[in-house]
Amino acid sequence: MRAWRQGYIHPMLVAVTIFFILLPTIAAAQAPPASFDDLVSQATAAREQNDIPGAIQLYGQALQLNPKWQDGWWFLGSLQYATDSYAPARDALTHYLELVPNAVPALALRGLCEFEIGDYAPALNDIQRALSLGAANQSRNEKILRYHEALLLTCTGKFEEALQRYGVFVQHEAANPELLLAIGLAGLRTPVLPKELVANQRDLFVTAGNATFLFLKGDQKGAQQAFQALFQRFPSAPNAHYLYGYLLFPTDPDQAVAEFKRELEIAPSNANDQVMLAWASLTQNDPAEALPYAEKSAEEEPTLPSAQLVLGRSLLETGNLKDGIAHLETALKLEPDNLETHIALAKAYSKSGRKEDARRERLLCLQITQNRSTQIVSP
Amino acid sequence: MAALAAQGQTQPTLAAQNPIDISQKQSLAASACAGCHRDQSIDQPQTPMGRALELPGDNPTLKENPRLTFHKGAYSYTVETHDDNTIYSVTDGTKTISLPVHWSFGKGAQTWFLERNGEYYESMVSYYPSIKGLEITTGDEILTPATLDEAVGRELNKREPKDCFGCHSSNTVKNGKLNLDSLEPGVTCEHCHRGSSAHLVDAYQGDFSSAPPNLRKMSSEDISNFCGQCHRTWETVVRGGWRGELNVRFQPYRLANSRCFDGTDPRISCIACHDPHHDLVREESAYDSKCLACHGSSVHPATASENPAAVTAPKSCPVAKSNCVSCHMPKVKLPNGLMTFSDHEIRIVRPGEPYPN
Repeated sequence: MRAWRQGYIHPMLVAVTIFFILLPTIAAAQAPPASFDDLVSQATAAREQNDIPGAIQLYGQALQLNPKWQDGWWFLGSLQYATDSYAPARDALTHYLELVPNAVPALALRGLCEFEIGDYAPALNDIQRALSLGAANQSRNEKILRYHEALLLTCTGKFEEALQRYGVFVQHEAANPELLLAIGLAGLRTPVLPKELVANQRDLFVTAGNATFLFLKGDQKGAQQAFQALFQRFPSAPNAHYLYGYLLFPTDPDQAVAEFKRELEIAPSNANDQVMLAWASLTQNDPAEALPYAEKSAEEEPTLPSAQLVLGRSLLETGNLKDGIAHLETALKLEPDNLETHIALAKAYSKSGRKEDARRERLLCLQITQNRSTQIVSP
Repeated sequence: MAALAAQGQTQPTLAAQNPIDISQKQSLAASACAGCHRDQSIDQPQTPMGRALELPGDNPTLKENPRLTFHKGAYSYTVETHDDNTIYSVTDGTKTISLPVHWSFGKGAQTWFLERNGEYYESMVSYYPSIKGLEITTGDEILTPATLDEAVGRELNKREPKDCFGCHSSNTVKNGKLNLDSLEPGVTCEHCHRGSSAHLVDAYQGDFSSAPPNLRKMSSEDISNFCGQCHRTWETVVRGGWRGELNVRFQPYRLANSRCFDGTDPRISCIACHDPHHDLVREESAYDSKCLACHGSSVHPATASENPAAVTAPKSCPVAKSNCVSCHMPKVKLPNGLMTFSDHEIRIVRPGEPYPN
């Protein structure tokens, strides 16, 4: 909510916008008893006169008489959302979605309700489903939903995905402290919301967020200076060097590796950092160099899918096919949709003569990347 | 890396590090290996791989085409060669940027690697033998330069120069770092056979224990990944999401998508059909025996002895027993129409079927 109140979008606007998107799709009401008709008329009048508490009460009464009244659940849920009654709003929208599955605005609004009451996993699920069904077809809605998606990805520990979302965001947004704070939280791998931070913690995250913002915006020089300032002011901040290395890796792997190594000096048990060092070596066709980092990362965090992935690949490419496949299959169980794991398994099965398994994995990879098509820009 | 002292007038730092007799060094290395590996060493330096990078003074393409011009949109390009020096220029009619060409990538089609103000660029235009002239560099058609600076070429990120020189030259990437001091143009023996220089020295003293590993012993999957380091591996193409006819250039990717690809069957590896030490064989019939090695027999020899019951014979072609590749590996033109490749996704091609990928 804070983000909206400080210059993003007021929730009432969301509710009103979503109203108008939905209106044409609302099916005709079920045939009600007489008293139900009266309640519907009164509820509508109250809503139109902006008597929101009165309207909520009347919609509730009408729905007691006819719980299959689709419009009633929608209006009740959206009015409750507008008055910050997030738990009742979520319940009303759940009733509505039972009657009208895949109603995009209701999915989006329920996701926002769940976000407000701290049900982060279902909130992320609803918002992502709404986005996949076209909820981002209006720029105002898109901004709200994408921002909340990024916050939720951070809260649920999907930091890389969160940074990816912010990467799109920063192209169109000016820097503001709230956004920088949110980016800083994702960058420094801190699974909390901006509002959960106490005042004296904000400086670190805003500083990290600012450096990341500049990098994502394409201002490499500005980002370099901002990261140096971050390292000077917060020399022992965990994940700061990791963050810079992670951002540099696609275009400057040598510099990235130097940053990952600095991170290990600060946080020797940083499993994600060890994963990246292993990955960097694997991309340089040096699995022997990758193996110790991969082993350490899997030892530190055995349930980290990427740790199992790099260990599996390192073993595979140093000739230990059997153990390599075992770790890759563990990685797949931990994260079934990871493209890199499917790629590695395709290679592993192919090398071990499991032709059909290899083919299945290859086809899966092609399926996963079907919508990611990019144009080739190198010869 | 120091920037150019004055654009277009002095040698860039990198170029100054390259002794001009590098091509001689390459042929010396190959001829030294030829003492024992004659068949592999005699032709290789003149193959497209052997000449994957041309240096000034040793570039037949530019010598035969001393003035190349091209115009697109607001920009005109000229590539002029005089006395072994080549200048790449682009103008918008008012201003001109001229850069010396020190590194030409490719033996037939040729793209120029340029340096300007300490940054590296892939030239916006390339030479194509099919039109005997210049056109936009393959893959760069999507770029729309808004300024003369952008019209020079595609600016490379810090990773790319290492990738470019790593494939088109030898001895340039050491410990993951680009080192143009030691550049040898093209793919030399040492490029694929790591340790061959040390082996050469030892062999002269009668010690053959340091011979590099025999690459023929690798599995088909490993060979695909080995050749794919330059020709692009299956995973590189998948990861990049490179779809469409442009990926016909990446043979290891296409081959691995074939129904018949088996990572443990030596009959389907890159080197089952191609000998990298010689020019590409272009006669279609020359590959028939490779196809019939599987499709002409009823038993898979690699596995028959282990589990004969599980072995099923690959289908024989009901249409023909010769020129197999003419149907099953169709020629595909790149979208710009300038280059044609054999599609290595081996399959039964049906009329009207879209390019599979």
